[in-house]
Amino acid sequence: MSAKRYLLNPMRTAKQGVQVNVGKEGDEYIEITTTLSIHPDDMAEIGVSDGDRVLVKTEFGEAEFGCQTAKVPEGMIFVPYGPPTCQLMDGGTDGTGMPTSKGWEVEVTPVGGSKFEEKAE
Amino acid sequence: MTCTLGEVKNRADFIVYWGGNPAECHPRHFTKYALMPKSQFLPRGRKDRTMVLVDIRETKSVKASDVFLQVRPGKDFELITVLRAMIKDQPISEAQIAETGLSVEQLQDFVARMKAARFGVFFFGMGLSMTRGKHMNSAALLTLAAEMNAFTKFVAMPMRGHGNVTGADVIMRWQTGYPFGISFNRGYPRYNPGEFSTVDVLVRGDTDCAFIIGADPGATMPKPAIEHLKRVPTIVLDPHVTHTSKMARVHITTAPAGISAPGTAYRMDEIPLPLRPALESPYPSDEEVVRRIKETILKKPDWMGERPQMLTTQV
Repeated sequence: MSAKRYLLNPMRTAKQGVQVNVGKEGDEYIEITTTLSIHPDDMAEIGVSDGDRVLVKTEFGEAEFGCQTAKVPEGMIFVPYGPPTCQLMDGGTDGTGMPTSKGWEVEVTPVGGSKFEEKAE
Repeated sequence: MTCTLGEVKNRADFIVYWGGNPAECHPRHFTKYALMPKSQFLPRGRKDRTMVLVDIRETKSVKASDVFLQVRPGKDFELITVLRAMIKDQPISEAQIAETGLSVEQLQDFVARMKAARFGVFFFGMGLSMTRGKHMNSAALLTLAAEMNAFTKFVAMPMRGHGNVTGADVIMRWQTGYPFGISFNRGYPRYNPGEFSTVDVLVRGDTDCAFIIGADPGATMPKPAIEHLKRVPTIVLDPHVTHTSKMARVHITTAPAGISAPGTAYRMDEIPLPLRPALESPYPSDEEVVRRIKETILKKPDWMGERPQMLTTQV
């Protein structure tokens, strides 16, 4: 089990923006919001490969994501905003009215199964 | 210290996107306002403009930039503070610069370009305003923009997110004097982000009912806020089935604003744009539903009995 902590940055993508309007129940929206982008070396360190599932934990909650390698800085993870990222957010707003939605320290551990296998089933 | 996008289009020759990815999130921003348009003052369009992108990673917007500054995550405030010192030729240590993840040469070049500009704009996104530091980061950038006016014209503008969030702020401002986080509990508006703002009210469990119009907090808010929405009776007005409508006690389908219902949308520079409906809808508009609910409530007897003229004694 990996004990290294990563910096999770939820973000927006054009595809996600389109799918928000198409429908949040759609397979494509669910796929986009449950797939995180990570540096290949970090992925190797966690012990997973493209398409594998990981459990992402903050001190406030946890959610499962599929992995994909991407050109992102080492130690950082990016995932489009969506219902899974809500599960990881703290309700505190530091008196601003807005919760911190980027830059959480998270723990990432592999879970059994791959997103591709699940699709094939 | 801001301006309209029309001024940006016609005059801004130095554009900085800070903590935003317009290539993906505001795909028409480059072509309609900030980079490509030709004007009387910028006759060669893109060639007359310089674009600097400040972000923690290489996004798709990097290809459109002239200079990319990859700031270390969580160090935006430090970088802005260093820049504020550098424009005024105040001493900065190498360690302070190294902390930002950028080199002295990069920052000197950035400052020189800012000072050489005729009309500079900072467009800042959630990468600045929603990371640690939040409004302090935004305030620091606004201060830098203000201080740059000692050298040349400089403005700042937030890159707003979903459609017409600016409209909600503008309307609340001219109705109450405050943009958001407003409580009417005492019969007059009071403003206190962190106390009266939606997330805080929900997380503390201060509300026993929620009325949600054209928003989907069930898919965007933190888990503790969503959990409270599930506990209380929630009424949703939305054209679509959403995560929020599924947990709501009542979901009233309404006509999509701007497509089937008329109205006014505010652009991110607070310019109001009237919208004419292009398609007919069998559903009523949000406005009509709210008006009918209000009329029905007014017919009911007041829960306080005969309401006093002033509510100053009510706490």
